Amino acid sequence: MSANETAPEPRDRAGEILIEAVTKRFDDVTAVDDVSIAVPGGEFFSMLGPSGCGKTTTLRMIAGFETPDEGRILLQGADVTNIPPAKRNVNMVFQAYGLFPHMTVAENIAFGPKIKKLGRGEIATRLSDVIKTVRLDGLEDRRPNQLSGGQQQRVALARALVNQPAALLLDEPLGALDLKLRKEMQLELKELQQRTGTTFVYVTHDQEEAMTMSDRIAVMNGGVVEQLATPRELYQRPATAFVAGFIGTSNLIRLRVDRREDAMLAMELGDGERILAVDPGGADLGEHATITVRPEWIKLANGAADDRACYVGGTVIDVVYLGSITQLIVVLRTGERLTVHRLNDEVGAIDPRPGEPVMLRWAADHSYIVGSAASTPFPEA
Amino acid sequence: MAAVEVPIEPVRRSRGSGRGALGILFAPVTLLIVLFLAPMVIMASMSLLKFPPNTASGTTLDHYREVLTNPLNLKIAWTTLWIGTTAMVIMLAISIPLAYYMVFRAGRWELFLLLSLVLADELAPVVKVYAWQVILGRNGIVNWFIPGPPKSWLLFSPFAVIVTLSASYITYTTIPIYAAMKAIDGSMFESAIDLGAGWWVQARRILIPLAAPGIFIALILVYIPMLTDFVTADIVGGTGSYMMGQRVRDLILGAGDWGAGSALNLVLLVLSVIFSLVAYWLGRLNRIQT
Repeated sequence: MSANETAPEPRDRAGEILIEAVTKRFDDVTAVDDVSIAVPGGEFFSMLGPSGCGKTTTLRMIAGFETPDEGRILLQGADVTNIPPAKRNVNMVFQAYGLFPHMTVAENIAFGPKIKKLGRGEIATRLSDVIKTVRLDGLEDRRPNQLSGGQQQRVALARALVNQPAALLLDEPLGALDLKLRKEMQLELKELQQRTGTTFVYVTHDQEEAMTMSDRIAVMNGGVVEQLATPRELYQRPATAFVAGFIGTSNLIRLRVDRREDAMLAMELGDGERILAVDPGGADLGEHATITVRPEWIKLANGAADDRACYVGGTVIDVVYLGSITQLIVVLRTGERLTVHRLNDEVGAIDPRPGEPVMLRWAADHSYIVGSAASTPFPEA
Repeated sequence: MAAVEVPIEPVRRSRGSGRGALGILFAPVTLLIVLFLAPMVIMASMSLLKFPPNTASGTTLDHYREVLTNPLNLKIAWTTLWIGTTAMVIMLAISIPLAYYMVFRAGRWELFLLLSLVLADELAPVVKVYAWQVILGRNGIVNWFIPGPPKSWLLFSPFAVIVTLSASYITYTTIPIYAAMKAIDGSMFESAIDLGAGWWVQARRILIPLAAPGIFIALILVYIPMLTDFVTADIVGGTGSYMMGQRVRDLILGAGDWGAGSALNLVLLVLSVIFSLVAYWLGRLNRIQT
């Protein structure tokens, strides 16, 4: 789109969204609980979480369809908390698209600019620009019901982008598409965002979708932000058990603090077996904690592991060949089950068989405390 | 959107079922002929009878000339048209917002409103019209509330006929519009608001165009009976509201002029058919553009 060309020098606050200590209640339910988020201009920002986590309510508050009970929302530095949606310089793409079935593609897209009483020439220029941007050339005179799902999606995007909003708000816009098309549109959306430089705030419950596109992700649960970080950080250093379980597959292991040294917490299991974790500080001896470790970080050990590695024995109970990886389920001596992923990077590699005893090892700095053992463990995803 | 494409299956005809199909169709076709076509033919042939209507009088086309040229008939047609149209406009002005409210805002009151509309229509028409006499009369409820001397134009006037017709037929304008609006995806209004549309733009560019098929059905359902309604004008109307329905009734039952009455009725029928076709065609367009 022409945002880059027409906008003067981008100011500091262009496209910036600030959510400050916002709370929203519906009757007795607190949908959003004291949430603060800062989205710098030009970022692809996602809010990720299960249904009912408050992500859509937060998005609708940015759009102006809901008013916060507490806190405020700033758009490009201006307080918009009580400004109606029509007067905010943001546009929303709805899950159901909300295209006008009685209007052509061009009429749908020109709806916003016409209401804003832009000049005929200006509307025509913007229309042809945005149609090129979203690749709808040649479909201007079609009605929405003559378009495929992906094309309808593009019309919805174009109809929002043509207003040159400071930020584009997307509410699970790919939910109605089939998997293959969804994957294509994810890449297209990311590319579109980079090309236009518009701030995107994207709401989804699909962690893979959020990981694929986002610069940063806020993982939400129960109305609060559990963690706000880049996809890489979320995966490698989940802050809570919820995040660990929601992003990818993760093992949660109960750890009793038997020993503290070298910034490590250790649980001794006898016979040189131990589970280690990075010491976040503040843990007392004898206390329990939950640690998380990703399945692909766990290796089968041949001999004794070095001191800085976790080393623990167990019995294989299930082996599933998944092509690029083989998934093993191992029951530890402590009774806990671990999922282990072995990369199949060699033809002829032999997997252990169910019932076989194995030794597992993983680097100590790969296991992170995600909460005290008292907190509810996350159910196996 | 959620446009579901229903594959149209070719109608397959199993061999040797021709006679069976004829047998099945025999009863309804006969009913149609006896109950629908036959009265038409009788009415058409009566419309040609000279006065007094009997077999000895012979036939004439004079009644049609009379219907189309008699200034009295034209005056009555005009009265019927403006009363009917005013009532129609009032009904649409109520039905469109009411249907919108029922579909998008009423929540759990939706069914209650729908049932109220249906039940209101179940009352015997004559009772309903007399009720309006009580409401609008010199010592009626409305005059009781209005300060000053009783307003006599409330009853036995075109005003009374318009109000009563509007109230009588409101069910038939609201329900088709309600049904049409049921098919509208509510998220469209949110996206319109998001794009800067106020309530008037939403109504004019989204709600009404999408409800248009229902509005046209309402027009057909209500305009045509209003053309022939005589009970309302009889009970609450006055000299200024003499309508077509009354004219037909008076010609046939009053003057006993079956020929003139039938001719007038047939002309009304043809007008109704033309009106229906136009409304249907407009409904097919499914679109009002500015």
